[in-house]
Amino acid sequence: MSLIRASTQAFRQTIDLRTAVRALSSEVKAPVESRTETAEVAIPTKDVLTAEVLSGAPTELRHRPVRIYQPARNTMQSGGAKMERWRIDFDILQGGGRWENPLMGWASSADYMQGTRVSFKSKEDAIHFAEKQGWDYYVQPPPTKKIPPKNYAENYVYKPNKLRIARTK
Amino acid sequence: MLRLVSTASRPASSGRLSRVVCSNCVSTGRRTFASSSALRADITLTVDGKEVTVPQGSALIQACEAAGSPVPRFCYHDRLAIAGNCRMCLVEVERSPKPVASCAMPAMPGAKVFTNTPLVHEAREGVMEFLLANHPLDCPICDQGGECDLQDQSMRYGSDRSRFHEITGKRAVEDKDLGPLVKTSMNRCIQCTRCVRFANEVAGVEELGTTGRGNDLQIGMYVEKTMDSELSGNIVDLCPVGALTSKPYAFHARPWELKNTESIDVLDAVGSNIRVDSRGVQVMRIQPRTNDDVNEEWISDKTRYAYDGLKFQRLTTPLVKQGDRFVSASWHDAFTAIVSGLASSGAKGDEIQAIAGHLADTESLVALKDFTNRLGSDNTALDQAGGYAPPVAGVDVRSNYLFNSTIPGVEQADVILLVGTNPRHEAAVLNSRIRKSWLHTGLEVGLIGERADTTYGYDYLGQDAKALADFVAGKGEFAKKFQAAKKPLIIVGSAISEHADGPAVYNALAKFVEKNKSRLVTPEWNGFSVLQRVASRAAAYEIGFVPTKKAAAVKPKFIYLLNADEVDPKSIPKDAFVVYQGHHGDLGASLADVCLPAAAYTEKSTTWVNTEGRTQLGRAAVPPPGASREDWKIVRALSEVVGSPLPYDDVVTLRDRMWEISPTLVRYDTTEPTSVDVALTGLKTLAAHTAGAKVTGVPFKKPVANFYQTDPISRASVTMAQTTRAFVNGERYGFSESEKSSQAAFA
Ligand code: SF4
Ligand code: FES
Repeated sequence: MSLIRASTQAFRQTIDLRTAVRALSSEVKAPVESRTETAEVAIPTKDVLTAEVLSGAPTELRHRPVRIYQPARNTMQSGGAKMERWRIDFDILQGGGRWENPLMGWASSADYMQGTRVSFKSKEDAIHFAEKQGWDYYVQPPPTKKIPPKNYAENYVYKPNKLRIARTK
Repeated sequence: MLRLVSTASRPASSGRLSRVVCSNCVSTGRRTFASSSALRADITLTVDGKEVTVPQGSALIQACEAAGSPVPRFCYHDRLAIAGNCRMCLVEVERSPKPVASCAMPAMPGAKVFTNTPLVHEAREGVMEFLLANHPLDCPICDQGGECDLQDQSMRYGSDRSRFHEITGKRAVEDKDLGPLVKTSMNRCIQCTRCVRFANEVAGVEELGTTGRGNDLQIGMYVEKTMDSELSGNIVDLCPVGALTSKPYAFHARPWELKNTESIDVLDAVGSNIRVDSRGVQVMRIQPRTNDDVNEEWISDKTRYAYDGLKFQRLTTPLVKQGDRFVSASWHDAFTAIVSGLASSGAKGDEIQAIAGHLADTESLVALKDFTNRLGSDNTALDQAGGYAPPVAGVDVRSNYLFNSTIPGVEQADVILLVGTNPRHEAAVLNSRIRKSWLHTGLEVGLIGERADTTYGYDYLGQDAKALADFVAGKGEFAKKFQAAKKPLIIVGSAISEHADGPAVYNALAKFVEKNKSRLVTPEWNGFSVLQRVASRAAAYEIGFVPTKKAAAVKPKFIYLLNADEVDPKSIPKDAFVVYQGHHGDLGASLADVCLPAAAYTEKSTTWVNTEGRTQLGRAAVPPPGASREDWKIVRALSEVVGSPLPYDDVVTLRDRMWEISPTLVRYDTTEPTSVDVALTGLKTLAAHTAGAKVTGVPFKKPVANFYQTDPISRASVTMAQTTRAFVNGERYGFSESEKSSQAAFA
């Protein structure tokens, strides 16, 4: 009983923090999406209460590491809009992850988390969320982009010595 | 779309909120962008009312990108030369009479650029109309559907009707036959020439080009010829429309049905970053993942297309040999059979041998080594010629067996000497970097070993250790160039350590590097690099999965093959009890008394160490088939049945153990350079240890005879068998058997 009370108090504290933050954000005239963005400003507190104490989530979930990463751009396309978000998803279950259903030939699964993928605006948010859930996480660092400055004129630059490329464009 | 709106409506004040948002999403790209070329002066311009600073000489499109205003494009690509022929990237620049193509326009200081004005919208709509004038409306049957730049951009920027109504219909172009990997549908081509530029610059296939002008411009190989390149699959990615699509994947899946898993490739030692796209329990395709430190944006055709090998020849249940047949058994029975085999073979101490193959992951290597050591044996051998003896280069110093210059570092070298290696087939993506550098800088390459078509020119120095001795002695033109180089690089192939002259070569090189240490081994540059060619090797050396001298002399009675499929059957004693653990019924399984089915690389989340010593974490995309299990778990379970359980029950404790062995094994995505002193000590020991080695003069051979089939996965793959037929054996295959078809077919 006392445990639950302690945790509700902790809960209330976080809520207080959020309202304070929201007030702050309205000062700078947040755009329409302010609700999602205020969540970002909430600086994750160190001692988070893991949700499963209250939520009744299956304890097995605690033994399944999640990965926090920025999805890579699909090389088939040039747009990069989906790369900015940080995603949490679960490693597959080795045994009951998926199997081919003998009745229809479709894939069946015993893994209730296999379809779950959560997106966040920042890494810190994702980590905070994973900590709140009590999940083990691995943060995959995004690769650094190294694109040199490019110039149309480079096509016509004079190169001494033997010609090394015959352009067929 | 969403992004554009939110950028526009974001408050301009630098309140706490907006700063937080910016630092999270937009600026990461911008910061690295600017820091990548610190030497150049920076310029500042305004894009959509936002000030942005980019290095001088950048294209306008790069500045727009840095400012967070995406510009639609078809022909511009970050890793190819600029062509400027699609005109989709038009933007408005203040005081310019017309919209300008932002990819072909250098960013100018003080310019005011707008990417979101009525003029720009109209320009884009006009371009779109031209592009669609001749583009077929076959999206429902096009494989690009759902991930097509043209489709998306016409929805976003195009008009809903066209003013072109040609009575003759749309342009029709003959399809080209580029081989068994790339399917063409040339009616759809929008002539962006990305594929041509890729083939010219990166892949080194200069036959792919354009013929004709204007409406009649066609992409093709000029004569009827397939595109023989180990990187050809990348043009499928580059093509912004469905003109070039993947032949093995044709009509198999749609992008929105696929689950994407970001993982690591293991079919060579580069450790290319890949994305495994799966549906249900099947891997449907493999795509590259951009990582500028490893594979840029390219992967080799083997990496991309060998995945269908994961479906065939799989071991799905444990097998126990009875007489000369394999009988499927339960895990329990298989383990019992191993325990009794171990007892009846009478193997003691070093007579118990473990052999690690090409595709063994780091976790299972560690578990197997611990297990073998617990049984009192030091006989941990490698699956390569000479792998039963301690390796020539030793494993005490990392820099003796790693690619020390790092893969991006190759681009800084000004002279490269290749010793006994053909990087084109041993590390195809790395080879493209050498070509890039050869094209854009004055890089000189020298080769000692078997002649090969490398896609760049090289000075041929000879084919054996004597040629190397001449080079070391400073004879010849190339040796002089090497002496004059500022950042020289020596790439030693992995086949050298398997060669009879290996010790002599290493001795000569170690002495040479020591003598020239002022240029070859400095704090910024280590120009002595060993190019491994199989995924597990660097990790095996890292954890010391090599036999001791004493153990190597012992004749084994119990052999544990971990993914070892290249073993010489003759090297296995007749009376030995053999266990094979792996995922394919290949050579290793046929030699075994008990087969244990394990997971392939797309089915386990394990650690891989590439040839640079970069540790990367793979990720399971699909579950292993049947009763197969993750590799390290099998070893762990067996250790329990044998009676000396390994002290780790989950992967976290196992990784703690890996940290104990070498902390680099759990520091992901970085390379740790060896310090100058340690590297030199390593070379000194190497020289001392190989002193007095005799030169036999046997020519070096290319270790990879057939690039497309090097491991059990690619050997089981139908696609790889077809590529072997088409490109290695040069057989005619496919739909364009023109000599057999009637005359009318040409009309
Ligand atoms: S085939 Fe594709 S990549 Fe090549 S020019 Fe045509 S549209 Fe561009
Ligand atoms: S992207 Fe600029 S012209 Fe094609």
